[in-house]
Amino acid sequence: MVDQHTVRAYDKDLDLLERRIAEMGGIAEKMVIDAMDALAGADAALAHQVVSTDPRLDMLQREVEEQAILTIARRQPVAIDLREIIGAIRVASDLERVGDLAKNIAKRSLKIGVESRVPRAIVGIKHMNDFALELMKDVLDAYAQRDVERALDVWERDADLDALEDSVFRDLLTHMMEDPRNITFCAHLLFCSKNIERIGDHATNIAETVFYLVTGSNLPTERPRARQESDAEADAGGES
Amino acid sequence: MTAAARLYPRRRARNVVWTVLAYAATALGLTMLAIILGTLLWNGVGGLSLDVFTKNTAPPGVVGGLLNSIVGSIIMTAIGLAIGAPLGILAGTYLAEYGAHSRLATVVRFINDILLSAPSIIVGLFIYQLLVVTVGHFSALAGGVALAVLGAPIMVRTTEDMLNLVPNSLREAASALGMPRSLVIRNVAYRAVASGIITGILLAIARMTGETAPLIFTALGNSLFAVDPRGPMSALPLIIYEFARSPYAEQQRLAWTGALILTFAVLGLSILARVLSASIKQK
Amino acid sequence: MRMSNDVSAQAPVKPAVATKEKVVMRNLNFYYGKTHALKSVDLSLYEGQVTAFIGPSGCGKSTLLRVLNRMYDLYPGQRAEGEVMLDGENILSPNLDLNLLRSRVGMVFQKPTPFPMTIYENIAFGVRLYERLPRTELDGRVESALRRAALWNEVKDKLNASGLSLSGGQQQRLCIARTVAISPEVILFDEPASALDPISTAKIEELIDELSGDYTIAIVTHNMQQAARVSTYTAFMYLGEMVEFAETNAVFTAPRDKRTQDYVTGRFG
Repeated sequence: MVDQHTVRAYDKDLDLLERRIAEMGGIAEKMVIDAMDALAGADAALAHQVVSTDPRLDMLQREVEEQAILTIARRQPVAIDLREIIGAIRVASDLERVGDLAKNIAKRSLKIGVESRVPRAIVGIKHMNDFALELMKDVLDAYAQRDVERALDVWERDADLDALEDSVFRDLLTHMMEDPRNITFCAHLLFCSKNIERIGDHATNIAETVFYLVTGSNLPTERPRARQESDAEADAGGES
Repeated sequence: MTAAARLYPRRRARNVVWTVLAYAATALGLTMLAIILGTLLWNGVGGLSLDVFTKNTAPPGVVGGLLNSIVGSIIMTAIGLAIGAPLGILAGTYLAEYGAHSRLATVVRFINDILLSAPSIIVGLFIYQLLVVTVGHFSALAGGVALAVLGAPIMVRTTEDMLNLVPNSLREAASALGMPRSLVIRNVAYRAVASGIITGILLAIARMTGETAPLIFTALGNSLFAVDPRGPMSALPLIIYEFARSPYAEQQRLAWTGALILTFAVLGLSILARVLSASIKQK
Repeated sequence: MRMSNDVSAQAPVKPAVATKEKVVMRNLNFYYGKTHALKSVDLSLYEGQVTAFIGPSGCGKSTLLRVLNRMYDLYPGQRAEGEVMLDGENILSPNLDLNLLRSRVGMVFQKPTPFPMTIYENIAFGVRLYERLPRTELDGRVESALRRAALWNEVKDKLNASGLSLSGGQQQRLCIARTVAISPEVILFDEPASALDPISTAKIEELIDELSGDYTIAIVTHNMQQAARVSTYTAFMYLGEMVEFAETNAVFTAPRDKRTQDYVTGRFG
């Protein structure tokens, strides 16, 4: 059996979807990197650049949806083709949200004045961002390769990102308690850390999509999570 | 200029030539037919009168007609049909429905094709040996049998060809309802080709009424009015043969009239057949 | 990739809801003379469900259908081996009353084949094969058969017209009416809509939908979307083998065998 459709135009339609998603992935990744760089380096120009990139991502997502709808109408896809198209729609939506989250980080960095910066507080966030970026890179590779193992790996590693977020949260609280002048800056960073954790969630979504696309079934709804703040406190409360 | 455009004038010329030839051949055939019918009418109409249909053949000098010959033809054709039609149709059915792959069917088909063009005088001689010599006298029955032998192969052929035209899908559809084979044939296949089978019968009648040679050896002819098939009987072809050779003018005239009646009777039957089959199709 | 060509993909699927098996084929082999057309087919048709048979030309799906009502018996040189159980009775046994079998297993063909009779007679004919009914009851049977086939309203004023005077789609519905008039238990459809226009096709599909539940239906079709629309179970055949048999939903969203996937997505070379 050949792997190409007998009607070649069908393959072209699917290829187009693939290329658009790849483009979206590249843009989203760059936005995530640049947003953090803008935040860490107080680089307003870079931040503006990130914000102005977002419309392109939105447009690509709409294109992907349109192309998917047309392909469904014209080709009546079934089995793997159908799952590919549904997958493309889902991944495009996730990537568009990732772009929005990066844009929000960039916008926030514009709001932060130079005087209130606390360089030490950034370290944790930067670490988080790198981790989230790794997740995104890996899951997009998994999507491109249709690699279930890699996707599952990303799916599980998100738990680590959640754990990181908890520790960054505690760090920032500590900073805020140390010195009230830090509160503004750290409060902004709290929001950014939430955004980054959301980026990780979207990576998880893409991983689930890859799994569905390849196997035709869904991952269990609950994934292994890191122990929660609340769990730890409950334990502590229980002991004493 | 494209290749097609260059070839066009030559092709058109060739087309015209062949079309003209085709039309000419048709015209020739139709002309022959017209001449025959015209000659028959010209020579035969004059002799037509009520006497022809009410008086028997008579010796020269006496006013006569063709009554016994007409009746004789009808009787012998009827005998031929009574024997040949069931034989022919059932044999044709066997060949089409049951004999697609059997050895026997192939042999039967081969023999039937030979019989289709067997010289009728041979058939006459054969029946003469079988039914005249053994019995000791000529008879219309023997004549009828000879006609059956000549007419049956036509009906076998037509029936088989017609039934072969019935699409297998129709037979399968009937079988799929649980219809036994015989009912499938009777109620579905026959009904589908009824007009074709009737045409076969009429073709056979046309052949039978026109045969002369076999009747010479079997029915012999009879100058008296006869309806008993066990004895000799007259027939139109026989009397035409006899009167055409006669030196007497009134007998020659009667021969023409007889030929006219025969021809137009067969023609009338054919037309009747067409009308019948068209009306069956309507239903 | 969880695609495989291994045996597990060929094992018959048990439905989620326990349904009675109406027809069970075990190790069915079929020969056209020396040609081995069906190879060790194992399959079940579930009662009241529609099972579709798909596959490329020459894969044996029509052959398989014609085994179910022993239609191949009409032609010498064609033979079947193995077991085909209809309600536990092996219909391949040589002593079987074929006409009785065909009254229980009806068939509708690709080309509409109305008999050369009136519309009324087309239907009454089949009924009369099995029952002697007074005229009024026969009228009722003819009407109910035509209603079941969604044809009554179109022909009720011309029951004495020839069956051949109807349009293609109407003729096919007439054939369906003829088949249901004798109350079979199983109905086999051999590409019933492939000679029809899209509207007639849709009517036939709707008809099959309505008939399922009361009848066990097997349909051979080369139109995959049609198989997806009308059937609960789908069997994919290739070169005489049963490659995959599963619920239609599974076959068209996540088939287990790569060959099935290649066929349904249009990747067949």
